[in-house]
Amino acid sequence: MHNKNSPATFWVFEFIFRVLPHLVLFAVLIWLWELAVGTGFITSIIIPRPSKIGGAIVELYITEGTIYRHFFITLTEAVVGFLIGATIAISLAVSSSLSETFKRYVIPYAIVLNVTPGIALTPVIIAWFGYGMGSKIALAAIISFFPIFVNTLTGLVQVDEDREELFQSLGATNYQVFRKFRVPAALPLMFAGLKIGLTTALIGAVVAEFAQATDGVGVLMSRFSFQLNMAASLATLMSMTTIGLILFYTMEFLDDRIVFWRRENRRAAASRARARAWKNQL
Amino acid sequence: MAVQDAIPAPQAVEDTAGTVRRKRILRHAGIFLTLILMWEFGSRIGWLDPLFYPRPSNIMRSFWLIYFQNGNVWYHLYATMSLVFLGWIGGSILGIGLGSLVGFNSVLRRFLKPYVIVLEATPRIAVAPLLIAALGFGASSKIAIIVLVCFFAPFINTLSGVMNVDEDRLELFRSMRASKMQVLRKLVLPDAVPIIMAGERLALTAALSGALVAEFIQRDEGIGSLILVYTRNLNMASAFACIFTLTILGFLIFKGMEKIDFYVAFWKYEGGRERVSAKRRAAMEGPDHA
Repeated sequence: MHNKNSPATFWVFEFIFRVLPHLVLFAVLIWLWELAVGTGFITSIIIPRPSKIGGAIVELYITEGTIYRHFFITLTEAVVGFLIGATIAISLAVSSSLSETFKRYVIPYAIVLNVTPGIALTPVIIAWFGYGMGSKIALAAIISFFPIFVNTLTGLVQVDEDREELFQSLGATNYQVFRKFRVPAALPLMFAGLKIGLTTALIGAVVAEFAQATDGVGVLMSRFSFQLNMAASLATLMSMTTIGLILFYTMEFLDDRIVFWRRENRRAAASRARARAWKNQL
Repeated sequence: MAVQDAIPAPQAVEDTAGTVRRKRILRHAGIFLTLILMWEFGSRIGWLDPLFYPRPSNIMRSFWLIYFQNGNVWYHLYATMSLVFLGWIGGSILGIGLGSLVGFNSVLRRFLKPYVIVLEATPRIAVAPLLIAALGFGASSKIAIIVLVCFFAPFINTLSGVMNVDEDRLELFRSMRASKMQVLRKLVLPDAVPIIMAGERLALTAALSGALVAEFIQRDEGIGSLILVYTRNLNMASAFACIFTLTILGFLIFKGMEKIDFYVAFWKYEGGRERVSAKRRAAMEGPDHA
């Protein structure tokens, strides 16, 4: 269909056949929406016109720029909470994988924590940690704890018996078995858990902001909603989507780099890099 | 102390499987009681402020109060759970329906993909204030929030279940000239049942969280607003009684979904095929004997 040797034509065809239909569909949908509100088919108070949303986006992000402060506050809360939750979860999971006794006594409490909807703790957490960022971070940490814990533990415990036997028959020490065998085997599942944990951490931060806060995207969102300023509210929602996308793709990138052996092309690249480093050493 | 009573004297028992198990349970109970007692005494000698960290004895009394003496929790529990189940069923129907539609239609899949990615990245609970503003206070906005929150897991799981259909089996169906509907009903959906059920379980948990968030914002009725009101009044013991109620509910949801899974996706379980085929045979033979 097109000349593969020329990158310019490749991108032109790529654009026409892959991207353009999406853009056309998107434009048609927006136009229909605009039309539906314009003719009064949809009440404009409840669902605003796309052009008004666009205006709100310009106002919030460009001319006034009010959103950035809130954006970074929520991002910080989610990330810090996630890091705290992940640290606790991974250290508990590693300890439980090393000691059968420890695991037996930790797991019941982890399960109780899991079946309780973490969000139910929101008012209590706010009473404990105050209206500032502390309570949001705490809730994000609590909510993100369990998926990371359970995935890391499953990864560390579910191992290939044959490989373990090979390690033992080659006289690997316990530390070597752990470092070279169990941890790499657990990484894919651990990253799956970390991805879920990151998403839930963002939810925790936003919900805590709904309940009680002074800054953050969640506050902005509920404030605009209760002023019935739906356009601005949807524009704020867009910033949450952006935070979600940033967090998700950061994690995806780390997953790609650290658990490189799951991707064919990354595996080749990693082995090339190692060969080069080895040659330089010689 | 009570802890010492809980741990059996070591020389008295021989190590059979039953006694090992009993010992373990006793030890768990011992540790649990120690923690509770430490909490209670820590609060009584003033290490923990009872205003913020209620004593276990007070939490127990609050349980008695809200369940029996005042009995006010029942109304709120009913308000929450009825909406949770309604929203969950609505979200499931929507999710499974759309998931199988999109899974079957590659054109639809291609054009919906960007929107699904965007929707996946958005914290869906965040739409709650917007929906409340649009639909007003009351049950309708709560149900809308719950549907939105629990729609996604069944949708994605159905989609991946439908798309990961076994090629060889599909070829067999095709070679026997099965219609599209037959392929869907007899091959694709049954194959996807275990993963759909996993999605449903996630959805029910998410539905409970969604209901709680909606109640935190609306503050009218339901267990979420009850927790909020108790915390605002610094009646932490009652707030904790409500939270532990949710823990119990969470357990029940988990066990209930496991039970449903046991009947719906029976072939995953040990002896499940035999159990169901015996039952079906009995049902087929039943009318003849009558």
